[in-house]
Amino acid sequence: MNRFARRCAHLARAVLAVATVALAAPLSAQRLLVPMDDAQADHLKAYGVTYNAIKDGLSAEWLLNYRGGSFLLPDLPEMRRRAALAGVSVEPLTDGALSSVRSEMAGANMDAIPLEKAPRIAVYTPLEALPWDDAVTLALKYAGIDYTPVYDDEVMRGDLTKFDWVHLHHEDFTGQLNKFHIGYRDAAWFQDLVRKNQATARKHGFRSVPDLKKEVAERIRAFVENGGFLFAMCGATETLELSVAGARVDIANSFADGSPMDPDADSKMDWRRALAFKDAHLEQSPFVNSMSDIDGHQVNVPGRRQPLGTFTLFNFSAKVDPVSSMLVQSHRSVIPDFYGVTTSFTKQTLKPGDVVLATEEGAPWVKYIHGDYGKGTWTYYGGHDPEDPQHAIGSPPTDLSLHKNSPGYRLILNNVLFPAAKKKPLKT
Amino acid sequence: MGRVARARSAILTMLGAAMLVAAPGAARAQELQDTLVVRALELEASGKYREAIPLFRRAMQGPDPINAVLGFERSLAEVGWQDSLFAPLDSLIARRPQEALLHTIKLRTLEAMGREGPLAEAFEAWVASTPGDPSPYREFARVLLQRGRTSAADSVIRRAQQALGSTKDLQLEVAQLRAALGLWVASAEAWRGALANAAYLDQAAVYALRPTPAPVRDSVRRTFLAPPLDPGARLALAGLEGVWGSAADGWIALKDLPADSASVAAWTEFGSRAEQEGRWLLAREAFGAALRWRRDPALALRAANAAVESGDPQGALALAPLSDAGGDSAAAAQRYVPLHARALALLGRPLVAEQLVQAYDRFFTPGARARLARQVAFGWVRTGDMMRARRALVDAGADGDSSETAGWLALYEGNLKTARLLLRKGGESTPELALALGLVARLPGDSARAVGQAFLTLARGDSARAAGLFEAAAGASPAGASLLLATAAQLRVALRDEAGAVTLWRRIVEQHGASPEAPSAELELARALRRRGEQQEAVARLEHLILTHPTSALVPQARRELELVRQSIPGSSP
Repeated sequence: MNRFARRCAHLARAVLAVATVALAAPLSAQRLLVPMDDAQADHLKAYGVTYNAIKDGLSAEWLLNYRGGSFLLPDLPEMRRRAALAGVSVEPLTDGALSSVRSEMAGANMDAIPLEKAPRIAVYTPLEALPWDDAVTLALKYAGIDYTPVYDDEVMRGDLTKFDWVHLHHEDFTGQLNKFHIGYRDAAWFQDLVRKNQATARKHGFRSVPDLKKEVAERIRAFVENGGFLFAMCGATETLELSVAGARVDIANSFADGSPMDPDADSKMDWRRALAFKDAHLEQSPFVNSMSDIDGHQVNVPGRRQPLGTFTLFNFSAKVDPVSSMLVQSHRSVIPDFYGVTTSFTKQTLKPGDVVLATEEGAPWVKYIHGDYGKGTWTYYGGHDPEDPQHAIGSPPTDLSLHKNSPGYRLILNNVLFPAAKKKPLKT
Repeated sequence: MGRVARARSAILTMLGAAMLVAAPGAARAQELQDTLVVRALELEASGKYREAIPLFRRAMQGPDPINAVLGFERSLAEVGWQDSLFAPLDSLIARRPQEALLHTIKLRTLEAMGREGPLAEAFEAWVASTPGDPSPYREFARVLLQRGRTSAADSVIRRAQQALGSTKDLQLEVAQLRAALGLWVASAEAWRGALANAAYLDQAAVYALRPTPAPVRDSVRRTFLAPPLDPGARLALAGLEGVWGSAADGWIALKDLPADSASVAAWTEFGSRAEQEGRWLLAREAFGAALRWRRDPALALRAANAAVESGDPQGALALAPLSDAGGDSAAAAQRYVPLHARALALLGRPLVAEQLVQAYDRFFTPGARARLARQVAFGWVRTGDMMRARRALVDAGADGDSSETAGWLALYEGNLKTARLLLRKGGESTPELALALGLVARLPGDSARAVGQAFLTLARGDSARAAGLFEAAAGASPAGASLLLATAAQLRVALRDEAGAVTLWRRIVEQHGASPEAPSAELELARALRRRGEQQEAVARLEHLILTHPTSALVPQARRELELVRQSIPGSSP
């Protein structure tokens, strides 16, 4: 390390030391407002700055519905430094200005939610690179939020208990590898994926990959039941539900486990065990690239495929329903839709208790849903990549530095922060 | 007339009538089919597939069913009714067993539907109906390759080898298959075979072999360069070098092509691309090769210009002699004299350049004359004769003596006062002029001999010494020190002396941190550190830049560099 680097390291240590006592010695302004409306230069990194502030033990507040769902942070030199480095816009607030903000919020559909403890984050993803991207890991990396990758070995080892928040993305929990055999059975990456999954199944004493994935899905279900926060996107939403509801039925086709799907599988599904869906019908054909009628768009089935539209976020009461409000904070209420192997959720398959967070007007499907399960909660967001509506296998990953203000990606990061909120009892 | 004769007469009459009717009937059938297809295509284009399907199906009964079958196939796929394709398609195949496209449609539909059994049966039926024909193997292999089913395609090609005795009719498919399997060298060998028969496939070869990993590329190169020389293979290799980012090596593939019109076209195209990219040496070589086959004065001028730009003024004079202008003195004055004057000035022969310009003086406008006088003056500068340089400008008249060039001469002499006045007259905006203007504006006083000496040394082409002089001048001119150091650093980079440049950037950041050059010096320093793998200091530099110069236009670039170092965005391998 040369002289300059040593000096910088020394300076950084000094800054951290100052930060720890900084509440006793704030700058002239007491708080930093991180606006989340159009005044924000980088919405996605704003979540990282806020998350890391909580992680470092600092207090923060989420001002629901105030200027796009702004954050309030202590006005410390270190906070200003981090914001400047990340290109996040901040506005110093004096005590007087803060009082005005609170007064304005009191009389409107707004509320301030204290953010207390940064959730420990796990992302269920294989370590090896796959020919598709994962919107959540892209968002977390870009925002500068640390996470731990976990996969089947870790889940089977019981590691999920170490985390507060688990994300699932493109995984097929029915063990049929998204039926990629239809188009990619000869592709080297697919064959490699099959081999690795089969080896993991054997290692853990399972006869087939579908059996392994059912057990993994069961452990994820239990994680939520015991108080975990689950966020899932794309195909993981639909297949996790199918796997949980079909725990005692053969729902995999013969290419995956050597035996055909149970012809009566539909009637044997136990939807009481599922988190979000009910009475869905399985796709029986191994040659039709769809899992069930949960997905409204059926992107990979010619003839069933539905065009993309836009989806609208619901406007919840911030004071009465803070959790749903947190999940829909955005500077845009109408967002362009985007495909995934599961793009949307048909209304007919939703359980009565599901909270719909975003829907496409007039369509028989919804986009973004949330609910409680046991002591925990789940949130499902259809589609693969909010800034790459037609994302295909082999497409390059999205560079979020080109989409700093993406409202679609903001919804993902809302989910990362909402477990940090100090819960308020629901008034209704 | 007997009964037999009457019968014969009746048959002949019927045949005649049938023939009379048949001709307009065929025309009508064609007309009806065309109408149906057009209507069906309109419906298909507006997304009304269900309405289009019956029309396409009716049109398939007509004399030329291909367009209708293709539309039928597309529309059925859109609504997920592919099963409905097979009955009418099988009828057509029975009527036209030699029509390869019909078989291909059947194969690709069955493959897309995952009907492995019927797919194999359809292929076997086609093979049986046309023994010895490579079409079934070729088309089936293509269908499988398009769907990424390389192992299955490989099996089909092996069958073809057994059945046909060779795969020479399937070389394209073999080449694509091997590329899809990552067998890059084997694919290159197959491409060589395919290109020998169809040179027009060079772009397909480039596309297929583009992902070849760097360690294997030399083997692919050797395959394409191996004797005997094959123009198609050489063109493909030149294209590959372009996409691999080694365009200069593309010339190695092209330079030995036999001189003919096709090669000349390839050389000229390569030269034009090199010209656009400022790769003057390559442009000159490519144009030169084309000229050796056929003399073309316009191309010769481009070659000569490339020669001057690549530092070979002597070669330029030989490539485009004045005699090329023929007896047309006006053309010579317009096109050849400026090039020759520049080349002669660069060669340190300003006197000859001056005489040449004088010989054609009557053809020049005042503006052209002033431009040529500047060339001559720079020639004198290169020889170190500042007096003659100044006289050359004076002789060009008021346009010359008060020109930007006169400003340069003043700067070389360290006369900042005159340089400030005249350099502003520069009509063209060049980096050199911007640097000079920046410096003369920043330096106090009217004289700076050390700075003038540094610029003069640079004008004489001795950039290594010039870098040292700029650095030395920084010590003598504190007001412009950061700019002088930044200039020296730029020269060090051009000389591939990154260590020297890093020292200078560090000096700017540490000793002139508030100067306008500090942000760019720190950004360059951070980039150099990142390239060296010194990530920690690179991060420290970038953070320092962002925090110290928050309003600098370079902050977004610094943030992006920071993201690359921290690997928070895709493609950020350090």
